[in-house]
Amino acid sequence: MAQATDMRQAAGTTPPDAEDEVKVVGIVCNWCSYAGADGAGTARLKQEFEMRLLRVPCTGRIDPLFAIKAFEKGADGVLISGCHPGDCHYSEGNYYARRKFELLDRMLPFLGVESDRFEYTWVSASEAARWQKVVNEFVGKVKALGPREGRAL
Amino acid sequence: MSDRQAKIRELAGAALAEDRVDYFIGWKQGINSSEAIPAFVRNADEVDQLVWNPLSHHNLTAFLKRKMPDPPNARIGVCVKGCDSRTLVALLQEDLVDKERIYVVGVPCDGIIDRRRVEKEFADEVVSISFSGDTVTATTRCGDSKDFAKGDITFDHCNTCRYPNPFYADDMAADPVPEPEDRTPMWGTIEEFEALSPAEKDAKLADAFETCIRCFACIHACPVCVCWDQCVNRSRRPALVGQRVDTKENLMFQMVHMFHVAGRCPSCGACDRACPVEIPLYLLHRKMNKELYDMLGFEPGVSLDEKPAFQTFKLDDPFGEH
Repeated sequence: MAQATDMRQAAGTTPPDAEDEVKVVGIVCNWCSYAGADGAGTARLKQEFEMRLLRVPCTGRIDPLFAIKAFEKGADGVLISGCHPGDCHYSEGNYYARRKFELLDRMLPFLGVESDRFEYTWVSASEAARWQKVVNEFVGKVKALGPREGRAL
Repeated sequence: MSDRQAKIRELAGAALAEDRVDYFIGWKQGINSSEAIPAFVRNADEVDQLVWNPLSHHNLTAFLKRKMPDPPNARIGVCVKGCDSRTLVALLQEDLVDKERIYVVGVPCDGIIDRRRVEKEFADEVVSISFSGDTVTATTRCGDSKDFAKGDITFDHCNTCRYPNPFYADDMAADPVPEPEDRTPMWGTIEEFEALSPAEKDAKLADAFETCIRCFACIHACPVCVCWDQCVNRSRRPALVGQRVDTKENLMFQMVHMFHVAGRCPSCGACDRACPVEIPLYLLHRKMNKELYDMLGFEPGVSLDEKPAFQTFKLDDPFGEH
């Protein structure tokens, strides 16, 4: 944490109070969005630092329960991102995944989680600028909602 | 009502006498006439214990999902109502039940009554329930008696049922009952819950799930939840669901069930009826089905040729950008 604070100070961003800080989990596929995020980092595109990335082989590997578990464990927002439909490294993983995420997206508000706290999107390896935009917009929305205080989820 | 019961006995008796099945699963009277319980009949001369009445709520296809029938490769006869047959179709779609080894007797259904709702009308134990036409008479141990109109005490999912006749059956116990012309799904009471604010929903869910004892009754009674000891709910590695007794873990437990039967679950209500602490599980499962229908126009278990929603995809699924 101290190291992260140092990095933020070095980057010129003010560390917020720990209590105000939101925790955002990003689950990204190895082939597109992770590479896109890597590209955004290499290009030094400034991004909200609340995002913690989790790399998986393919969006097809992501069980909707991963997102639910993240919320259960105290995440304030979950972003899932993979290859654009049609560009999956394994041809069709994200087509299966898309159905699952859509159901999850529709179920979460029913479970008392505001719909702005979950999003699924597609970012390719070459779209560093798009990754920056996706992260900043998503984290901005989660920040506007603030930390969650769910009893059920 | 009794015609169907007689026909079930006749069909079961014939199947057992001709050695087409090793055993036949139907319903029989429980400890008294106030409840029906599942029955396994192994001899043709024992079929007289089989009953059919509006208490026959158990979804007997739950017994077919066993990977190890007794004996292995047993040929099993089973009774199904309309909703039960949808779960059977869902199992057949995925080859989870061997079509060659089952004999299915379809029972057209007029709605099943919620015994719990009857029980709550009395301070004493209900020991007898009898039916005449649309009147249901319940009597307690002390002799208190009360008449109910059947429509007032049927399950919510029976009131909104659009498929009272079995989809898949080798023989039918009666002619099909009239079906509603409009097959557009109705979602019953979940709309009240949908209208609440996120904080209110959270509070309601927390109150409901706080009491879960994780007895696995919902999962074992579920005809389409099929992983048995591979269930991630039982697993400590991965530790998706912990052993800690708290509301969040309890909801997580139920989320595993819900997401893992998505595309297969037709909201038959078996989990709801099995729950000993009366958690409104229908809320989750019906909402899931509502959204699936909204997303893909998909209804689970209505066609043998269809693939379950999550085992297939379309290039032009109408969501997610293209």
